[in-house]
Amino acid sequence: MTHGSDAAAAPDLEAHLTPEQTLTPEQTLALIDSQRARVDAELDVDPRRLYAAWGAAWLVGFGGLYATSVDEPLVDVSRGAALGAHFVLLVAAMAYTAVHVSRATRGVRGVSATTGAMYGWSWMLGFASLPVIITAVERVGAPEPVLDLLWTTLPGLLVGVLYMMAGALWQDWSGFALGVWILVSTGLGALAGLPGIYLVMSLAGGGGFLLAAGAFALLRARHARQSAQAARAP
Amino acid sequence: MTAQVELDPVIHAAARLRVTTTLAALGTGDRISFPRLQKLLEMTAGNLSTHLRKLQDAGYVEVTKTHQGRTPATYVALSRRGRRAYEDYVTSLRALLSAPAPLAPLAPLATKENG
Repeated sequence: MTHGSDAAAAPDLEAHLTPEQTLTPEQTLALIDSQRARVDAELDVDPRRLYAAWGAAWLVGFGGLYATSVDEPLVDVSRGAALGAHFVLLVAAMAYTAVHVSRATRGVRGVSATTGAMYGWSWMLGFASLPVIITAVERVGAPEPVLDLLWTTLPGLLVGVLYMMAGALWQDWSGFALGVWILVSTGLGALAGLPGIYLVMSLAGGGGFLLAAGAFALLRARHARQSAQAARAP
Repeated sequence: MTAQVELDPVIHAAARLRVTTTLAALGTGDRISFPRLQKLLEMTAGNLSTHLRKLQDAGYVEVTKTHQGRTPATYVALSRRGRRAYEDYVTSLRALLSAPAPLAPLAPLATKENG
């Protein structure tokens, strides 16, 4: 596109407008940018919050399981209590995710809402199927260590694959990479066996989520600074 | 091919520019409820309705009336034509800003319209 006829086109516009106040083209673009930023901030799911919630839940929950499962427990808490805490933390992170996502997407319908709902149901049904599968494995006589290993590796497998799927759905490389990281952590943890897997899931898995949240926070802060500088520039 | 930089007068009004920017931020095939749109824009319902009607008259916006249970609900989306017009508007604006030669003064943008 060339700009050869700017001068010819511009006077036509004046016929349409009788302004009380006027904005320059720069201000018009700034108006677009600020409204766009506001819409993005309110409608987009904030990965910082979700990764931080899951990171904290995994770090503490799996950390507690490790601390109570080693031969000489690191803390004076029963294994049952650690399991209960782990479960409560996971449910809390899941509830936080559901509330955050439904708030961000409230009032929006159509293609993205359908995609989001199907993705949400993938999580729900995937996790709902875990106790069924593990109970079935228990019924054919699998010993306790096998069940413990399944309770840790199957959720890791689901979370990893679902994050990779999110990356594919929303063209989000960071989510995809996080999914790969969770899968690798789960695999290495499984090879480490019990109770080492709890430590791997706590530090590599939970730590991975927290690092991702931190990286996002830094990127956002840098982006905000650059935008502010661009807005101030003449 | 005639290359002409001109700003669409339907969009070139501060309130409608914010409306179209908000709707363009949604994915293609998405629509947003009237109350949520109103909240994102911080406009009164009457003011937003007026601007939506103008955009609707130009064929830029599609308004769907539906029911959620017994309460009526209104959903708003940018039409295909509206999305194209918005993209053209932004392209023209950027072209005006990046033009190396001194330009004739740009028509001022009305920031107040219909209260």
